This record gives sequence, structure tokens and C-alpha cells, in this order.
Amino acid sequence: MECKKVESFISKYIENDVTEQERKEISSHLKQCKNCQQLKENIENMIYLYPELQEEIPFFLKNKLYNIFEFTEEKEIKYGYSKWVAAGVGTLVLFLNLFYFTNIYPAANKSLHIALARVEKFVVETKAFIEEFKVSNKNVLFGFFKKDSDMEKLNQKKSSNKKGGKNG
Amino acid sequence: MIVDRYSKTIYNLALNFFGNREDAEDVTQDIFLKIFNNMDKFREEKNFNSWLLTISKNYCIDYWRKYKKGVKRVELDDNLIKQDTTPEDIAIKNYDAVTLRQKISILDPDLRLLLIMRDIQEFSYQDIADNLNLPLGTIKSRINRARIKLAKTILKEGDSYGV
Repeated sequence: MECKKVESFISKYIENDVTEQERKEISSHLKQCKNCQQLKENIENMIYLYPELQEEIPFFLKNKLYNIFEFTEEKEIKYGYSKWVAAGVGTLVLFLNLFYFTNIYPAANKSLHIALARVEKFVVETKAFIEEFKVSNKNVLFGFFKKDSDMEKLNQKKSSNKKGGKNG
Repeated sequence: MIVDRYSKTIYNLALNFFGNREDAEDVTQDIFLKIFNNMDKFREEKNFNSWLLTISKNYCIDYWRKYKKGVKRVELDDNLIKQDTTPEDIAIKNYDAVTLRQKISILDPDLRLLLIMRDIQEFSYQDIADNLNLPLGTIKSRINRARIKLAKTILKEGDSYGV
């Protein structure tokens, strides 16, 4: 067998994929031909070493790859229809605002009127000056003092009472 | 999931095809994006492997031809160290793996891919033939050619792989 032919069979020979006849011929050639013997040994050694070239995929790269799939899957499932729901709710809120704050459809702002009606308005005529006012949780408390003329009338009443008292 | 099942295969295919990690990382990402974008075109689980490997193979060759023809990047190898007994062992094995990887990247792209699939990733000849839709005989003879070419390059340089 010639070197060229041996070469074409060399992988098959190493992997035991030759007929008995071919095996004998190649073996006898390898014994005589140093070059072919060396080639065969080198190929065998490399086949032994090749699996060492396998590596684990780097962590950060694997994460990036996960992101390609997870991010888009999530988007499809989670936001697939809910984005339309969100858009609907937004539109509804806008319409309600329109009805509440305008008179386009008064029935719609009825509840707003009810809310406003709870604020009580009152006017008190006292003919007096406000001396102080206090605000507690619920009530506003005003303190008044009366006019001088009123004070005089009051004093007169008091003195007549005194007189009366004496009289009585 | 696709990433768990195929990322190591595709990454190692790219790593040994380009002989450096930078390109391998870029290409792996690109391939997965390609798979994702074309997912709807492919739904038959049966031929998924074959479809995936064909995409990977074509992408690697395209990328090589477009950007990397004749350009060799220097590989700074620090992660290749595996659990060995002595620093000498580590150094020797590390050297062997890196130089061997660099030698592989000199082969023709087609031969290189077949050699990687068969000898590094340990696919069977039949699997390779099925996945790449090529006759078994062609696959066997091409891989044989790749091995001889590589062994001869190494012999010429006076380097031998005694293990």
C-alpha cells in the first residue's frame, strides 16, 4: 500500500472501521514507513487532546442569552393584552374628568356636587369685632368683644339693677 | 429551554472556529438572536438540531469571510486552566490547548467546522451527516483530510503532541 492510500484510510484505521485485509496492509506499511507512523501517532494524540478544548460558556454570556428569550417572552405574555386594558382605563379617566369639570353632561358631575354641598356656608352678623379665633379638628371658634355703646347699655342695666336692689 | 440545551454547543463551536473568546461571544449572541428572530419560521422539533446547526455553521462561515479573513487575534488565556496536579501540568496542557486551537483556526472553514464537531464536540459521523444534510462518506473523508492537514502542519513545525 502506498503512503497516499494509507493516509486516506488513517482515520478509519484509528477508529477501527476497516476490513481485516485493510488492517493487515496498513499495519505492515506503518511498520516500514516512519512518516506515516508519526502521522498516525500525532492524529491519535490530537484526538485524545481535542475534548480538552471544550469550555463552559461564560456566566455573563449565558445571562445575555437568557435575556434574549425571557425579555421578549415576558413582553408577549404579560403585556400582550394588558396594554390595551391600560389604554382603556386611561381613556375612561379622561372622559370622566371631562364630565366632572364641565356641564356637557350634568348628571355625571352630580356626585361632585354632593361632595361640594357638604361644605357649609354661613354668615353671622354680630356687630362685634373678632377678638380671636381658634381652629380645632372640626370647628372654628370665634371670640367677640362688643361695641362701647353696648357696654354702656350693659352698665346702665347693671346699675339700675343695683338701684332696684336697693329699692327692693 | 433552548439556551440551556444548545448554548454550550454553539459557544464551543464558535470558540474553536475563531480560536478566541471575543469573537466566540459575539457570534454566539448573534446566532441566538438569529434563532430567536426566525423562531416562528421553525416549529418542527424533529429537525430543530439540524436547523440550529445549519444556522450556526453558516453564520460562523459568513462572519469569518466578512470580518476575519487573515486577521488573527491574540488569545490571552487564563480561564483554560483546569484541575491539574502541578503548575507544570497546567502550563503544558494550557499551552497545548491554546496552540492547538490556533492551529485549528488555520484550516479551511468547512474542514474546520467538521473537525470541531467530530473531535471536539464528539458528534457521531452519522449525526453530522444528518444535521448538515451531507452524505456520510463525504463527511468521513473530509474529517480525515482535516486531521491529516492539521497533523502535518504540526509535524512541519516540529511540534508534537505527546500526551
